[in-house]
Amino acid sequence: MDRMDTALREFFADTAAPRGLARRLVGRLAGGPPTLAALAGRFRIEATDRGVLRLYPGRGVAAASARAQRHAAQAQEELGEYLAGRRAFFFVAVDLAGVAPFQARVLAEARRIPFGETESYAELARRIGRPRAARAVGNALGANPVPIIVPCHRVIRGDGSWGHYAFGGRMKTQLLALERATPALVGCTSTRIVCRRGCAHEQRVAEPNRVVFASVPDARSVGYRPCRVCRPDAAA
Amino acid sequence: MDEATFTRHAEAYAGRLYAVAYRLLGNRADAEDAVQRALLKAFAARASYAPRWAVSTWLYRVLSNVCIDELRRRRPPPEPLPTGDARRAPRVEPVDLARALDRVPREARLLLALHYVNGLSYRELAKIRGISVNTVKSQLARGKAILRKALGD
Repeated sequence: MDRMDTALREFFADTAAPRGLARRLVGRLAGGPPTLAALAGRFRIEATDRGVLRLYPGRGVAAASARAQRHAAQAQEELGEYLAGRRAFFFVAVDLAGVAPFQARVLAEARRIPFGETESYAELARRIGRPRAARAVGNALGANPVPIIVPCHRVIRGDGSWGHYAFGGRMKTQLLALERATPALVGCTSTRIVCRRGCAHEQRVAEPNRVVFASVPDARSVGYRPCRVCRPDAAA
Repeated sequence: MDEATFTRHAEAYAGRLYAVAYRLLGNRADAEDAVQRALLKAFAARASYAPRWAVSTWLYRVLSNVCIDELRRRRPPPEPLPTGDARRAPRVEPVDLARALDRVPREARLLLALHYVNGLSYRELAKIRGISVNTVKSQLARGKAILRKALGD
């Protein structure tokens, strides 16, 4: 027991919970968070051989070939898992071949914003080397052909307000809240492997064996290794 | 675990969970939000609770998961190590300690909070994070070494 121990013990000792906290929190348990899972079937997905071409409110899929159909089916499944809070990334390919070069760069950069985080239009403009083009970035994101999969909802205004969203501000709020409540990296205590949320291996981890990590280096520092299937160490 | 039992345990532990969350996240609103989310998650998963576990271990794990994911979204503090008068201070001031704790890697910070807020044993810490007891010891030692350096001890 040294000075540091004493200091730490004193420092950590003096936090009293606000009065009535327990009763207040327990009272809210029955309600549960609002769920987005019901939305899963309400999108129409258009796909080509290269990947998902468009995603918009509606129903069903439009895919000419068997390969395109596989892309559409994969997108549907991943969307359902994402909206149910069981997935933090999309594996499915997107077809951005018909998109203008500037918009393609904006969308590619938007895909690099990590799950659960947000960035401003101005920051994104700076990252693509066009610091004065914040408004153009907003327009490019507004015309995003594959919302959710390309996460334009993670881009918000510099003052912290939402800005425009194709599916409405409420949906943007719900998506960001969902991402806040969903962990991105999950480790399994029996295998000591860390996966991205949504990986086939992660989905098999039993509930009591789940631990969440903030980053792959964090997980490594306590003896976990990254999964070789979903490659959390290679992800942006 | 039925609803009434869960509620009883939640009421018993809410204060202690809050203390850990407050020390990790640094403000009351985020701490309360984290405890709320942890309790909601635990409540939803109460069917999978294994009785061979202590309820506290389970609740601490769920809370740790929520707090760690919250810390993931925060950028690391950019300011350099404080130097100078900290060396001469007769005792460690809470403000300095709070700032120094920000420099400790997340995993070690979590273990420090759990260990010192609630006096959890190494074995319990190992179980909560799914790591070995030796890793717990080395993480705590590393965390304390970083604190000492930051405080000029």
